[in-house]
Amino acid sequence: MKHNDILFVTLKIFSATGGIEKVCRVAGKALYEHSIENNLTIQVYAMHGMKNASERNRYFPSELFRGFGGNKIKCILASIRKGIKSRIILVSHINLLPIAWVIKMISPSTKVLLFAHGIEVWQPLGRFKKMMLNSCDRIISVSNFTNDKIQELHQIPKEKCFVLNNCLDPFLPIPGKLDRELNLRKRYGIGEKELLLFTLTRLSAKERYKGYDFVMEALVHLKKEYPGIRYLLAGSYDKEEKEFLDNHIQKLGLQEQVLMPGFIADDEIAAHFSMADIYVMPSRKEGFGIVFIEAMYYGLPAIAGNRDGSVDALCNGKLGLLVNPTDVQEIREAIEKMLANMNAYKPNRELLLQHFSFSNYKSKFIKMLNS
Amino acid sequence: MCRIAGLIHPEFEINRIEAIVDEMCLLLKHGGPDDGGLYISETDKLVLGNRRLALIDLTDAGHQPMAYQNRFHITYNGELYNFSILKEELENLGHQFKTQTDTEVILAAYAQWDVHAFARFNGMFAFALWDDQLKEILLVRDTAGMKPLYFSTASGGLAFASEMRAFKPIPYLQQSNAESSVFLMAYGHIPEPITTLKDVKPLHKGCYFKYNLRSGEQAYHSFAHYCYNNTYLENPQMEKVLYDAVERHLIADASVGVFLSGGLDSAIIATVAAKIQKSNLNSLSLYFKDPRYSEKKFQDILLQQLHCIPKQYLLDETEFHHFFPKIIQDMDMPCCDGINTWFISKYAAEEGLKAVLSGIGADELFGGYPSFKRMSIANKLKGIPDLLLKSGRNSKIKKFNRLSYLQLYGIKGIYLFLRGHFTVTDIAMQLDASENEIWNILEDLPVFSKFNNLHIKNQASWMEFNMYMQNQLLRDADVMGMAHGVEIRVPFLDDQFVRFALAVDPEIKYGGNLPKQWLIDNYKDQLPQKIWDRPKMGFSFPFQDWLTNSPFVKDLMLNSNKGSRHNYERFIDRKLHWSQLMSLILLNSKNEA
Repeated sequence: MKHNDILFVTLKIFSATGGIEKVCRVAGKALYEHSIENNLTIQVYAMHGMKNASERNRYFPSELFRGFGGNKIKCILASIRKGIKSRIILVSHINLLPIAWVIKMISPSTKVLLFAHGIEVWQPLGRFKKMMLNSCDRIISVSNFTNDKIQELHQIPKEKCFVLNNCLDPFLPIPGKLDRELNLRKRYGIGEKELLLFTLTRLSAKERYKGYDFVMEALVHLKKEYPGIRYLLAGSYDKEEKEFLDNHIQKLGLQEQVLMPGFIADDEIAAHFSMADIYVMPSRKEGFGIVFIEAMYYGLPAIAGNRDGSVDALCNGKLGLLVNPTDVQEIREAIEKMLANMNAYKPNRELLLQHFSFSNYKSKFIKMLNS
Repeated sequence: MCRIAGLIHPEFEINRIEAIVDEMCLLLKHGGPDDGGLYISETDKLVLGNRRLALIDLTDAGHQPMAYQNRFHITYNGELYNFSILKEELENLGHQFKTQTDTEVILAAYAQWDVHAFARFNGMFAFALWDDQLKEILLVRDTAGMKPLYFSTASGGLAFASEMRAFKPIPYLQQSNAESSVFLMAYGHIPEPITTLKDVKPLHKGCYFKYNLRSGEQAYHSFAHYCYNNTYLENPQMEKVLYDAVERHLIADASVGVFLSGGLDSAIIATVAAKIQKSNLNSLSLYFKDPRYSEKKFQDILLQQLHCIPKQYLLDETEFHHFFPKIIQDMDMPCCDGINTWFISKYAAEEGLKAVLSGIGADELFGGYPSFKRMSIANKLKGIPDLLLKSGRNSKIKKFNRLSYLQLYGIKGIYLFLRGHFTVTDIAMQLDASENEIWNILEDLPVFSKFNNLHIKNQASWMEFNMYMQNQLLRDADVMGMAHGVEIRVPFLDDQFVRFALAVDPEIKYGGNLPKQWLIDNYKDQLPQKIWDRPKMGFSFPFQDWLTNSPFVKDLMLNSNKGSRHNYERFIDRKLHWSQLMSLILLNSKNEA
């Protein structure tokens, strides 16, 4: 008899703010609620999480959480020990797959599920990794794009592959007069009537695929037509990328237009969305792009690339505009289209919630666990 | 504080639904003597019912179910202790209020913040909220699980109520849960999520259940929970936090009193409350003639320094026998305890008090139970192979006898080892079942995840807070208080106070020689030494003798099955505790009904 119903093994869950961690927190909450409703036992492990990382979190009670503080061996052993006594093991990242594989070897009746996000599974894998991937009972991709890649690149049978789009965090502050409460425009010196483009992402030299450099190039033309236009490129940056961007901005003569405030505190993110006019991020390598659905939740029209998981986030273009992410002219035209008729591009709220509410996410997720 | 009930059923005629909810409310009338009402939506085949006990805004303005913006309708049971702060915030956001009630604040908060509103509520509450525009109903229950709320989605409908008895008029919910007897005998109460009816379950604390009539979509979500910390507050100052909590709990437009048992916890609550209310505080105490059980001398010591309006009641055997059958009836779901709560609530009602403060929660948060010392040994014993544990069951020594419970998974096994009522062998014999069947039932539910990441004493606290207090103490307090239309409030479970207590370092919180030493240390200079430096009496009531003398009990037990007769003999021979006999009395009186 399996004493534990579900073991969810993650790399990090509370200690970082990236997309994968967001998925893990929301999935953890879904599992917790599922366990209450159906009298199940769950455990959430985090290899790099500290013992106290889950404290005061709103997603699930901390007693269900175990952080191993980066002690990989300890985490692996504990996960295996627990996993073989579990009905289902869910791993949040392909790098954790060896744990699930060992569990499957010892306890074939344990169901193994893997979350597949983005670039980590878009590249050819070694033979061993491929074999482990094949031993999974389910691979849950966050977008159709990732799902297709998995089937194409790694020859995973279709019936094992599922798509579960990411969702809006149920704890996002309700849209409203958020920016006015904080007086954000004033803080940045942006006039109430000035047009504001917005991108929020980690600015890293190693991950320069978000397309903000192309947006800047488009801006060179746009500023002639819209003299008051500004571009807020927010998110923490590394030194190398900052240097690159400073040069880029200078080269393009956009010192007046581009603002780079760096890291935005969690409790101010919603207000930043509320302050802006357009969310634009023609990225080339999004697994899904949670930031798009968040921006749209706050009523921002969104522009995204048409070659990655963002296609799902924008509902194939039903919620916003999809562009060729390397085509500056197309990016520019998309922005112009929106600026010419802002109301027409306000995302359809009903459609957004229908696709990306936590409630719907949870019910799809649970169906997948039980199927 | 009130009682609530309701039914939605697409296949029933609205008149029938109305008649059913009307009858449900009638069955709950004891808990809401002041007023009653229904909200009926013919097109939605929905009726919400309410019985009201008025505590805040005693006028008709507080009538329930209450409407807001002609869109939201609520039937609500409980108190929001921070409602005036929320009201101010909502007024600043443009909301206008017609009443002085907390009910209206809940409605406006939901209109403003949607489901995010619930986590802002500090209080004890259970309510059903209907959004007539979205055609959506929400059932919501407080984070500590102080107020009960049972519901069922069987047969395509949605039925809910504050007490199990209220489901009686719903024909399709009458199938009883045969397994509940097993739980009653093992635990001494029926632990959540089990109930006496097969298709009815409690709403989990800190959760809401949403049902959209248009789409048929159902969703069960959690909005808040408590976490035990592993990083601790620096220099935690309890006094201020508790003072604020007690002050919030004294908010009412009707008279509020305080239970004074003679024990430490209620003494602290009374001392703090007396500071706030000066000389206007009513205190209520229960005592017995027999000095072996009576706490009167402790009550007298306290009353000498408290300057409140003291009321002490002598509970004698005649009165006990007179009311005992009524207590059994008032119990709603069976539980081996709660008799004293029933009597003290009765006296409170006779004094015209509508709400009374209780000391529940301190033992769980600060280590007042023996389990805090025994947890670590129980954990070690759990490592013994199951086979060896099983062999303990034939032992004549009760402690060994309960060892076998440790083979149950996780904290549940430890709970039954430490607090178990009857052994599996006894249960099987009494219920004429095989031991295997009993084991399977106990293994199945309730389920708890393992959490050895908590400090060992926090594990004990978790267990007492979420199992014993939740399923026995809080339920008793609710149902026995409501039997007399008295609301029992628990300041130690104030949302801010609980969060504070859970963030205190266990070395401080559970440190020292005496149980609850830290709590004592905080109030030592305000309390007489005899109050804090005394043995805990706990379950010491004269009920062993009184139940022995009760012709009602004798009659009931001797006319029952073989197991009951055998157990009654054991009780007469003093081999069975009165609380164990209580469970059997309840089993048999249930069978009779």
